[in-house]
Amino acid sequence: MELLMQQLFNGLTIGSVYALVALGLTLVYGILHIPNFAHGALYMVGGYITLIMMTEAGLHYILAMVVSICVVGLLSVLMERLVFYPLRHSPPIQDKVAAIGILLFLEALAQFIWGADYRQMSTPFGQVVEVFGLTLTLQRILIVFAAIAVMILLYWFLKKTFTGRTIIAMAQNREGAQLVGINTHKVAILTFFIAGALAAIGASLTSPINLVFPGMGHLVILKAFVIIIIGGMGSIPGAILGGYILGFTESLGATYLSADYKDIIAFVLLILILSIKPQGIFSKGGV
Amino acid sequence: MLKIDGVSAKYGKYLSIKDINIDVVEGEIVVLLGANGAGKSTTFKTISGLLKATSGKILFNDVPIHQTAPEKIVQMGIVQCAEDRKLFPYMNVEQNLMMGGYIHRKRKAQLKQSLNDVFELFPILYEKRNEAAGLLSGGQQQMLAIGRAYMAKPKLMLLDEPSIGLAPLIVEQMFESIKNINQEGTTILLAEQNAFAALSIAKKGYVFENGQIALQGTADELLSNQEVRKAYIGA
Ligand SMILES: Nc1ncnc2c1ncn2[C@@H]1O[C@H](COP(=O)(O)OP(=O)(O)O)[C@@H](O)[C@H]1O
Ligand SMILES: [Mg+2]
Repeated sequence: MELLMQQLFNGLTIGSVYALVALGLTLVYGILHIPNFAHGALYMVGGYITLIMMTEAGLHYILAMVVSICVVGLLSVLMERLVFYPLRHSPPIQDKVAAIGILLFLEALAQFIWGADYRQMSTPFGQVVEVFGLTLTLQRILIVFAAIAVMILLYWFLKKTFTGRTIIAMAQNREGAQLVGINTHKVAILTFFIAGALAAIGASLTSPINLVFPGMGHLVILKAFVIIIIGGMGSIPGAILGGYILGFTESLGATYLSADYKDIIAFVLLILILSIKPQGIFSKGGV
Repeated sequence: MLKIDGVSAKYGKYLSIKDINIDVVEGEIVVLLGANGAGKSTTFKTISGLLKATSGKILFNDVPIHQTAPEKIVQMGIVQCAEDRKLFPYMNVEQNLMMGGYIHRKRKAQLKQSLNDVFELFPILYEKRNEAAGLLSGGQQQMLAIGRAYMAKPKLMLLDEPSIGLAPLIVEQMFESIKNINQEGTTILLAEQNAFAALSIAKKGYVFENGQIALQGTADELLSNQEVRKAYIGA
């Protein structure tokens, strides 16, 4: 029972991070209609910036995270301006190839600047606490609460503010958005910023319990793709629900099946859910 | 108010409209007639800036707008209600309407007033205000599209075939509503295949054929024109 509770909490922790990353991916998919493979690189850069800000600039973990959010958000916007915007009239395959190109470029760049080593990130929230008989680190609790807070904030922004709703409007009907007077270029910039910020938050939260290295985005981005396919491409509740479904399945699977197969679970889940609901759990655009 | 001066536009290499000249005077209802594929929607897209004119000029109150971005054109006061409606299908009716008022988002009181006006104009939209736009019937979606355009408080409203696919009774209501909107001071450019209904509320009209204007005149002239009667009214 205690093991089960512990694993459920682990699932909640990784699920929260998956959900954050998948949310960024699904938002960009909604307006660009291409899978942005480079999203994994943003996640990786997010981890590095936080780490470097702590080790080199001596910033507090939370402050380092704020810097990372801004830097990766801007990097994401730069990506849109320099690569996706000029390609907006090109066939989608060119965007996809470009996205993979950015991913490889950023990874090589990270390796060039910071080296190929696996690095550890310290955290001021390393204490172990007992909650309901479970032994948890404060960092894991932080991950869950911070991620949920970010998701609530994002949901409020998208649902309740005019600026947020422009993102939804553009995802649901691009020309319709133009016809009500929305500047779709600005919406694209805003969306990329948010996606980058979410990737940076996800990476910064999880790095103290994982490791920082140039390839850290690979598995995460593959899983985020699985999540948004499961949840329905472009769907926001789908990304959140999909993130948690994967988080729970993985942590329970690792305990009760085998830890070696943990990373395969995502793909088995993908095949299972798509064979039952080919459109994903939610259809596109639902918020 | 709106002056289209020798405008041509293409999709890719294909020239879709050629040398279009249209004049809309403030306060009028002007109708664009023509069979499917004649170039009415292309003309609307070009006015709204969704498609760029390859030659010619478009002036709105003497300001050139043929190079202007779509959202700027909306801010200037030209709002289009497109043929395929271009609603936000997963937003509910009220959210769609509020998005229609996007350019007035800072003026909360005005938005509320406009929302009430739309609900008064189309009471069914009030009943369905919490339903997703994509789940409405064709006629309701059309009302929502017009309502959404109305929320922007345009000076000039472009209505692209608002009666398409609607039952005759609803078509009649639709034209009644369009007349009301016009009487409140909105100038209207209306594309229609339903020539008789359109001309009966319009001041003047243009007849499109193969991407060009084949005929133009006052509503009465067009209504009594033999070719128009044969082609579009079936009399
Ligand atoms: N998106 C498009 N791409 C290519 N050709 C188009 C497109 N839309 C319309 N056309 C062509 O342009 C011409 C004019 O069409 P349109 O303006 O839609 O006519 P109408 O609105 O009068 O029915 C038609 O020959 C049509 O086939
Ligand atoms: Mg048309």
